[in-house]
Order: sequence, then structure tokens, then C-alpha cells
Amino acid sequence: MSNLRRSTLLFLTACLLLPAAAADRLTVVSWGGAYVKSQMLGFILPFEEATGIQVDVLEYSGGIDEVRSQVRSWNVRWDVVDMELFDARRACREDLLVPFDHETLPPAPDGTPAREDFLEGSLLRCGVGNVIAATVVAYDHERIEQAPTRIEDFFDLQRFPGRRGLRRSPKVNLEWALIADGVPREDVYRVLDTEEGVDRAFRVLSRIKPLVDWWRSGEEAIELLEAGQVSMTSVFNGRVFDAVQRGETFSILWDHQVWFMDVWVMPRNGRRQEQAAEFIRFATATDSLARQMQFIPYGPVRRSALAQIEPDMRRQLPTAEENMATAIEGDAEWWAANVDRLTERFERWLERPVMVPRALPN
Amino acid sequence: MTASVVRGAIAVSLLAFALAAAPARADTDEVARLQQQLAALEQRMAELERRLARAEARSDRPEPASVPRRSFEDVLVDTAVLGVAVTGAERIEEARIQEAPEPEPIRFGGALRFNHFFREDVKDSRTRRGDSGFNLFRLNVDGEIRDIILSAEYRYTPDMDVLRHGWIGYRFDDDSMFKLGIHRVPFGLLPFASHNFWDGVPFYAGFADNHDIGVAYERRDGPWDFNLAFYKNEELGSAGTLARYAPDVVREGEQQNEEINRFNARVAYTLGRETGCEHEFGISGQRADLFNATTSSRGSHWAAAGHLDSRCGRWNVQLQGVRYVYDPDNPEGVSNDMVRLGAFGTSFDLAARGKLAVANVAYNFDLTGRWLDQLVCYNNYSRLFKDVGGGRDSELNTVGCGVGAGPLFAYVDLIFARNMLFFGDGSMVDSDDDRWRGRFNINLGYYW
Repeated sequence: MSNLRRSTLLFLTACLLLPAAAADRLTVVSWGGAYVKSQMLGFILPFEEATGIQVDVLEYSGGIDEVRSQVRSWNVRWDVVDMELFDARRACREDLLVPFDHETLPPAPDGTPAREDFLEGSLLRCGVGNVIAATVVAYDHERIEQAPTRIEDFFDLQRFPGRRGLRRSPKVNLEWALIADGVPREDVYRVLDTEEGVDRAFRVLSRIKPLVDWWRSGEEAIELLEAGQVSMTSVFNGRVFDAVQRGETFSILWDHQVWFMDVWVMPRNGRRQEQAAEFIRFATATDSLARQMQFIPYGPVRRSALAQIEPDMRRQLPTAEENMATAIEGDAEWWAANVDRLTERFERWLERPVMVPRALPN
Repeated sequence: MTASVVRGAIAVSLLAFALAAAPARADTDEVARLQQQLAALEQRMAELERRLARAEARSDRPEPASVPRRSFEDVLVDTAVLGVAVTGAERIEEARIQEAPEPEPIRFGGALRFNHFFREDVKDSRTRRGDSGFNLFRLNVDGEIRDIILSAEYRYTPDMDVLRHGWIGYRFDDDSMFKLGIHRVPFGLLPFASHNFWDGVPFYAGFADNHDIGVAYERRDGPWDFNLAFYKNEELGSAGTLARYAPDVVREGEQQNEEINRFNARVAYTLGRETGCEHEFGISGQRADLFNATTSSRGSHWAAAGHLDSRCGRWNVQLQGVRYVYDPDNPEGVSNDMVRLGAFGTSFDLAARGKLAVANVAYNFDLTGRWLDQLVCYNNYSRLFKDVGGGRDSELNTVGCGVGAGPLFAYVDLIFARNMLFFGDGSMVDSDDDRWRGRFNINLGYYW
């Protein structure tokens, strides 16, 4: 066969195969680190195996700007996106997402319908919840003189002296401040909805502010604790799990943990919506979620998945019954509406010392 | 090596499954094939997990923060770094946060200040409704390179241009520090014994915010704070120079003394440390020789202080007592009841023996508005009890506020003094004026 004929044959073969290959690919947008590892091993590889659809996973940094841009230009390259709950709500309100038919979700292995198997609030008009993560207080039980038992202890410097670590964000901090000031958890966002409520939360935070080390990433929070620089810190529960696996003697105070959820969504105007929906159904099946939880201490949104997890791991999940006793559901809707305003105020507040400075300008 | 093996295994497996998947769907015995593939997949996952465990055992620490973010593909194939659980709520923040830049090893700063004052006891000042003028231009250099620290401050004012401080330090592993050069004398309340622009009597007597040349060792050990220092002499190496930042004993006129070979020690203990309501109790002492250039002999000087610096929430209360003695060896005919101090391009006298008292209170207001960043209001009172010289006590009381907005900071002070330097004919030795004299002062500065 001459070179020309061979090349022509290869070209024609490629032309025939390419459209088929494109139809069997799916672009899933998610996050990095151990999280994507858990997704890969939990359900992405099995999905590819079961369906023959190749999944290209892209990493993104959150927000809805890119989705909005793709949807409005009708050039949608992202088929499925793993969104923060408040982003999903915003995007749905802006009509950027395809409504999801929850009746098509697979039931639990015992036949319980999906609607009953999913936790309340995890089935959205435009998406399906997948995992739940929490912000908790952590401490080193080998170092601390007296272990905290409730979130008020975090704000009590007299009974629990020592520096504190907090995330450089108003989220969670304001909620906890109000709880420590006596606001019932069910009223937290109602109180925060008023200027007086926000002032009240900042006043409580001001009480401990001189002794707070602010962190930006979960790794920094763990480092503060490892170095003994703080006696307690807020931190994401997965980080504590990871540190304990490395041999750290950290414990979690689950009291008033604040949990948030991730949601699978499909941008509108996509070309592979059937496959995308199939992927979401597969990813949120009981077995998929349970398999994912072997690799990361997140709470699955399906009760049947939780039941399949090893008891040791289950106790470390935000959704474990005992851990949920006083939990606060981070109000994604409320934060979506207020995060910009409060972050601005929070940053201003951060720059302003509480105590009289040791040295004024001289 | 591990990454390559894992990468290869994934690639081969994906290819095998991709090839196998298409015909499988067309096959009538699809269920059996899928079961076979699922078993193979589980086997492969088990193998990958074993490799991952081995890789993680070799790298038990999480990815260091300095490693730049990598593409998903890199992360996926190099499973050795997939060790950190990045939880839901944090992922969005981490992805949006740029790594904080490393601080510059050498940093520059400074200030430009203007002053407006109104002296109620001076007729011309009253008639002119006060006076305004340039107050200060300041340049600062601070830095740290490999535990060796540098700090220097140059000041230009209408009365002088002077190096306020300039020292080189070394930071030990336990965070203690050794300093060499011109630095603040560790005595009494630190860093300042007042909150206001005009300062208090201890400053004018040379017992606060004073800088000399020598060596010092600082160490903080839990609630304890230790300072030891030795100063060869005043900071400029010339006791006849009056243009200096803070008062020192100077050789001027018939008074030819200078302070040499001074030892300082200061110990402070903080009660309620890390509770948001801290009370620092401290004692300080210093002992020096007074060299007299006329008699070529040495007199002596000592001083001791006790202080309380209490910071509780937004309140700050400072109390201090100082006892000091200058025992100069003057020639016949020169008074031993006073020593001559110099600063700001001028000289003035201080009773050779006396006691100082300080009582300060300040409150830092909680500001929620957009424009003002800081509002600290205070009342600072200080007094000199003269044991010799025959004059009435010198007193200084300043009530005012410090207001900050961005780089701007203003002191608005109402100062009242009796028998005090720069107020009428007041002096810190023998004036006998019973009248309180006032001065309204606004100092506005841009600090960078």
C-alpha cells in the first residue's frame, strides 16, 4: 500500500471515528486535591467503565461567571459542574442551569425512593446534592489543659486561655459569635439579618480578636495547631481527619459545626445533557457515594450511603447523628446575598485593633 | 518513579477499557462482560490503592504550600500528592487566594507631619489664633536577612536632623534577641509612657523613649519579659550636641557632666496573658557613672521604676513610679542640685534627685463606619516630685484623641502644664509657678 493510500485511509477512518468519540465524552468540572481523588475512585472511573463515556475532569475555582458566559454564548463546554450550594442557587435563579428531574434518580438498594433517601434540602430544582463538609473547632487533646465541650468555650478566654485560630472570612465566625452570645441556632440568620445582629456578632468576635491568628487555607489552620501557636482553631473537618491520619493528636469539637453542601448541576444549552444527567444519576447512587466516602470524610447526602460506611469513618462525618445534634446548616441563600457586604465590613474590622495599640504613630 | 508507574497503569487501563467497552455494548451477553470488567476494575483499583499507600508512606507530609498549583491531569496521575483532604467549604477560598508574597527583606517607611498649636498663655499666639508649621520628615529602614535584623530611623525637624535609632540585631532560635547600636533604653513602661503627641514628664526627664548607644539582650519566656542592656554613653558620641531626639545629660555651660557606662535591667510579668485582659507588672533599674569633664572625675546615677500596664478589652491603664538620683562630681561653685539635659536643639535642667509618677488611661473606640479606622482617646497625667532645687512639682496633663484614617493620623491634644518646660518660664528644677498653662495642639501626619 502506498503512503498516499495509507494516509487517505487513516484520514477517512479518523473522520468517521471523531464524532462518535465526541459523543462519548463528558466534561465534568470539579475541584482539586484529595476531593477529586475520592471522586475518581468513587464513581468517575466506574462510570466510564459502565457506560463507555470518557470523562474529562477540569478543575475550577468556583463562582458562576464562567457558566454564565458559556450559557449566554450558547458555547457550553462544561457538561456537569460540582458547585457550592450558594452558587448553585444563584445560577438556578439566573436560569443558567437545567432543572433536574429527581424522579429519575436511582432508589436506595432496599428500594427506598430517592426522594426519601436524600437528606432534606439536598434535592434542588436545578441540581442534586452530593457531599456535606463542615467547619468545626479542633484542638490538640495532648496539649490543651481543658478540652472545650461547647462552642461558647471557644470564645471564653478566661476559662480557656490561649490563642485562637479563625478563618479570615465572616462566614461561620459570625454564626458562632451569635451562638456564643446566646442566640439559638435556629435564629442565627434571622438575627444576622439586622444591623444590630451583625454589630452584636462583631462585638463578640472583638472579645477574642486580640488573640486570634487568622488563617486563609485549611492547611494553615492545621499548621497553627501543630506548632502549638493556638490552643483551638476553626478548621474544615477533612483537614483534621487528614492530620490525625498522620499521627497528630487532634480532636474535633462538633458542637455547632456549620455544614455546607456541594451540588451537581448541568449548565443550560449543553450538547450532552442526556449523558450529563446519566452521570449525575450514577455519581449520586448509593454505592457511588459510599465508595467515595472511603477516601474522604465527607457526609453523603443519601441515608442509604451513610449506612454502608464503616462505623469508624461514619463517626467522623459531619452527618453522623451525634455530630449533627447541634449543627448549623450554613445558609447558602443568605450568604449568597450578603457575602460581599459582610466581607467588606469584616476586612475593615480586621484592620482596626480592639486593644489600645502599644504604640501609636510617633 | 512511582508517578510514572501509576501514570502508565492508568493509561493502559483506560485504553484497555475503552477498547473493551464499545464491543461489549454491542454484544448480546452484555451483562456477563460488564461483570467481568467490573471485577477487573476492582482489581485495578486495589492495585492502585496499594501503590498509593506505598507512595504516601514515603511522603507522609501534605504538599507544601510553596508548591505551585498544578493542573488536574498532573494531580491525577501523580497520586503521591493526593494526601490532603480539601473539604467543600474551603476549596473555593483556597482556589481564589493568591499565595501571600514573601515579605521584602528590607522595607522602607516614613512620615511627613505638620503641626498647629494655640498657646493660651502667649498673647501673640492668641492674637494670631495659633501657629502652623512643618513638624517632621521621617525615614525608616527595617529588615531581616537570615536572622540578622536592621532598624534605623532618621528624622528631620525644624530644630534638628538626627538619627533617632539605628541598630543591628540577631534573633536566636528561642526568639530572644541581641541588639547593638542606638536603641531604646529598656526602662519602665515600654515602648512609650504616654499615648499623646506631646508626651509626658518622664520623656523630658530622660526616662521614657530614650535612645542610647550600647548592647542589649531581650528575651520573652511565657509571661516573663527580660531585658538586659549596657550603654557606653549617649547615642551621638558627643555629649555637647543638643540636637538629639530625646533628652540626655549634656555638657553645656558650667554643667559639664555626661552619662557613661550605664547598666539597665528590666523584668516584667504579664498576668492573664492570652485572656484578653492582660496586666503587665514590671520593675526596672539602671546604674551609671556621671563623668565630669571639668574635674575629670566620676559621679554616679541610679534610677528605679515600677510599672503596671493593663490592657483589658478596649481600655488601657498605665501606672508608673520612678525614683532617680544624679550625684555629679561638679567643681566648686557648680550646683549639684541639678543636671543639664539636652534635646531638640536646646538644653534645660532637671532636679538632680526626684520622683516621677505617671497615670494614663486610654480607650480605643469601636468604629464601624467606612472612613475612620482608629479613634483612641486618652488622658495622660505625669508629675515630677523634686527632692532638691526648691521648686514646685512639675505637672503635665494631656487630654486628647488620636484619629486614624488610612495613612493619615492626627493627634488632637489639649495640654495643661504647671512648672513645666516649654510652658511659660516653667522648669524641672526651681520654677515656682502655681498657674496651669494650656496649649491646644493638632498634629497631622501621613505615615507610610
